[in-house]
Amino acid sequence: MEDIIFFLVRYLHVLCGVMWIGILWYFNFVQIPSMSKIPAEQKPAISKVIAPEALFWFRWGAAGTVLFGLILAHMSGYDREALTLQQPEIGFGMWLGLIMAFNVWFVIWPAQKIALGMVEADAEAKPKAGRRAMLFSRANTLMSIPMLFSMLSAQHLAGY
Amino acid sequence: MSKILESLPMTIVAGVVLTVIMVIATHQINNMNQSGVEKAVSDIQKKMN
Repeated sequence: MEDIIFFLVRYLHVLCGVMWIGILWYFNFVQIPSMSKIPAEQKPAISKVIAPEALFWFRWGAAGTVLFGLILAHMSGYDREALTLQQPEIGFGMWLGLIMAFNVWFVIWPAQKIALGMVEADAEAKPKAGRRAMLFSRANTLMSIPMLFSMLSAQHLAGY
Repeated sequence: MSKILESLPMTIVAGVVLTVIMVIATHQINNMNQSGVEKAVSDIQKKMN
């Protein structure tokens, strides 16, 4: 029974992670580079419909990944060793993931709410918030490369 | 830093560089975490391989 629970937690961790990083890469590899090519009258389809929906799954994917990841680390018995970098192979990945999730909830999401007009803000604040969200989203894309290396190598490249 | 993040290719290159730094740091931390006896055993094993 414990094996099944262990597997389910890992499965949910991976499902949420794919949701989170998939949408992060969609924003950075597809949406942001394409915005300048979209005619002005069609841009509201992105900013009013697609982006708010994507941001919902993006931030809850991040929360689920962290939640199930921490449960998995605790069940495996390496949570303390990893977070104190006594097991750096997985520890670096966990810290990068935590920093990225913090960025999602406390920088990118609040900035996107202003940039997309979901909260009251003056006209000057919108482009600044949009740029802040873009830069932190890019920083998360940067960190996703070593984070995923750490997560996979800890499991599949022992003693690298 | 913002110059790097404004460019997607530069962001990817920086991610790869950070990965290499992380691998080197992991090796260094693992070496520091090993006790004297563990290090001696590890060194012998490496020589045998």
